[in-house]
Amino acid sequence: MDTLVAQLAPSRRGDEGSSSTAEWANNGYGNLDASGAVAGMDVPGVPDPLAFLSMHTDSMSTNPQAKIKLAHGTTTLAFRFKGGIIVAVDSRATAGSYIASGTVKKVIEINPYLLGTMAGGAADCQYWETYLGMQCRLHELRNKERISVAAASKILSNLVYQYKGMGLSMGTMICGWDKTGPALFYVDSDGQRLKGDLFSVGSGSTFAYGVLDQGYKWDLSDEEAQELGRRSIVAAGHRDAYSGNTVNLFHVRENGWEFIKNYDLSELWYEYEEKKKADLAAASAAAAGGVPIDVE
Amino acid sequence: MSAPGGGGAYSFSLTTFSPSGKLVQIEHALAAVAGGTTSLGIKATNGIVLATEKKDTSALLDTTMIEKVATICPNIGFVYSGMGPDFRVLVAKARKIAQAYWKVYGEYPPTKVLVQEVAAVMQKATQSGGVRPYGISLLIAGWDAHRGQSLYQVDPSGSYWAWKASAIGKNMVNGKTFLEKRYNDDLSLEDAIHTALLTLKEGFEGQMTAETIEIGIVTVPTAEQQIAKSGERPPPTFRKLTEQEVRDYLSL
Amino acid sequence: MSIQEYNGGSVVAMVGKDCVAIACDLRLGNQATGIAMNFEKVFPVNDTLYYGLPGLATDVYTLREQLRFRVNMYRMKEEREITPETFTHLLSSTLYEKRFGPYFLEPVIAGIAPPTAANPNPQPYVSTLDSIGCITTPKDFAVAGTATDKLYGAAEGLWEPDLEPEDLFETISQTLLNAVDRDALSGWGAIVHVITKDKVITRTLRSRMD
Repeated sequence: MDTLVAQLAPSRRGDEGSSSTAEWANNGYGNLDASGAVAGMDVPGVPDPLAFLSMHTDSMSTNPQAKIKLAHGTTTLAFRFKGGIIVAVDSRATAGSYIASGTVKKVIEINPYLLGTMAGGAADCQYWETYLGMQCRLHELRNKERISVAAASKILSNLVYQYKGMGLSMGTMICGWDKTGPALFYVDSDGQRLKGDLFSVGSGSTFAYGVLDQGYKWDLSDEEAQELGRRSIVAAGHRDAYSGNTVNLFHVRENGWEFIKNYDLSELWYEYEEKKKADLAAASAAAAGGVPIDVE
Repeated sequence: MSAPGGGGAYSFSLTTFSPSGKLVQIEHALAAVAGGTTSLGIKATNGIVLATEKKDTSALLDTTMIEKVATICPNIGFVYSGMGPDFRVLVAKARKIAQAYWKVYGEYPPTKVLVQEVAAVMQKATQSGGVRPYGISLLIAGWDAHRGQSLYQVDPSGSYWAWKASAIGKNMVNGKTFLEKRYNDDLSLEDAIHTALLTLKEGFEGQMTAETIEIGIVTVPTAEQQIAKSGERPPPTFRKLTEQEVRDYLSL
Repeated sequence: MSIQEYNGGSVVAMVGKDCVAIACDLRLGNQATGIAMNFEKVFPVNDTLYYGLPGLATDVYTLREQLRFRVNMYRMKEEREITPETFTHLLSSTLYEKRFGPYFLEPVIAGIAPPTAANPNPQPYVSTLDSIGCITTPKDFAVAGTATDKLYGAAEGLWEPDLEPEDLFETISQTLLNAVDRDALSGWGAIVHVITKDKVITRTLRSRMD
């Protein structure tokens, strides 16, 4: 691990840029090198940076008393079906029990054909998925064809694996349409990368899975699939304290992704409750011998 | 086997009824009260007076050190007839009860509540093993926001009543007759104090002076005094009259 | 996570002109998971005195029954209704009995004493206690529970003196609703009681359900 730290860390303050990194940084490209790769990342200037990080951040779940808290609560989901991929997420960001924001964009638009979801550290997801977008564009330019979802997700998983143990916190789904059709991969900061038809990530994922699993079929129509995604996020936002506020719904089709809509989660919940009540009343009326006929 | 004394076998045990339904030890305790110096209480429209006779058996006795009217808490006072030592024990218990109440509720007990607690203490002494009943009757006077001024009598049996006026001790029969004649419902506290002195004078042995009687009064607080002020204690509603005050009343 | 935040929930009380109001959310959680949306945390003592117990739900039940016992005993012994001031002291001493193993609650009390001959014009009263019984009697409002910080913010901004019952209802409702919408552990419905000398108005509020 120390070799990794040594490798990532740019030149220490004092010994002037022997590499070209410093020049690039001065030209406004941050810590990217000439080839567009991340050349180095500042690490704490202490003898044991890893111990220092785990003492002050809670992202490694080793120190709940850590001062730097990273956003954790979330519900995100994505599933493949005959009409493409549905991606639905909530929009709540919490710091402890404080709801810091209700309008977070947890779907990261990597490029017109690729979406990434955000769970765990918001900054980690945002930064690395944007970086992934850059690498995807470079691939496109170099190879004169769009990158496959499998390859894109692998760039990300290999990338985060490099930083394993340093406190990156990401649970993301890379969704897109390539030559193989709709493709969905789960990638997390442990380095795990899974291909699948249906995923849900975040503190509310268990609640989302509950709804998702009972309603999921490959042959869902577009409307049914969108409704399933929406309903699952509402269920999770309702039950999970750290998820909620609004639903962002995306649909990935052959010609790229489409943003469907942003919904107020609480309003949707009330609509579902009303429908539940109406259905119940209709059912009991039917059981009692048919629906009463309106008389003028 | 027969026990000495008038109660026969039943006078042995405090907790054994006689065939006629009496607990003779309680009767004996009442006899002790009836032998004690006279005390009385009168409820007025704007207060209560408690008064008692302080008997000095010897010219050498320092009567200023005798206390027969006792303050229990800022709104309640006791006077007794009967055995002095038993009174002091009950006063100590009653003060503890009042403080315990204050600790829980942040205010002193209403008169009735304290009376019930003290009556319960006295009743316990009629039913427990290894003890004797208290040899005193109490007159308890107090003021509270709920019921205003109220006057109670508690007997060795633990029974209690609310009175407009009452007398206990040696002269209780005459005293009560006298009070019945003099009492009316619109008596003011000043009138009540004078009536108390006159009642005490009936059958008073020796000279009635500021040194040989004790007086305690309950006054009704004004509306302004009743408003709680932060950091301030409400003014007391029960207090003992000073010797000078008693002297002034006697000379009127 | 602290045990006081295990179930979530918040209470707020406010003083108005000849009236007081007390309100709470309805969420019962198991840490992050919402379990029930009908968990009231405010209870009546009598027609003009209510109290709220935000904190650990199991202690809510225990302390509520303990207080029911003590207030009933008081009512029978004293043949009168307990006043808000006296109830505050009773609750304080009840809490301090458990000084070294406290109830994980932060009670809030709101009421108006019934008028008596001795006190013909009783004033609206709000008080709050910490978990071991330290009393504070604010002149404006009292807040407690997992949304405490947010309630303070909302209440400081919205409360003003001498609000009539209808305006006090609006103020306390907006305070609670806006505060719990920023708290992950409170919400899931709300209920408000406005206490005046001769009646109590109770309303449930439509709130966010996430």
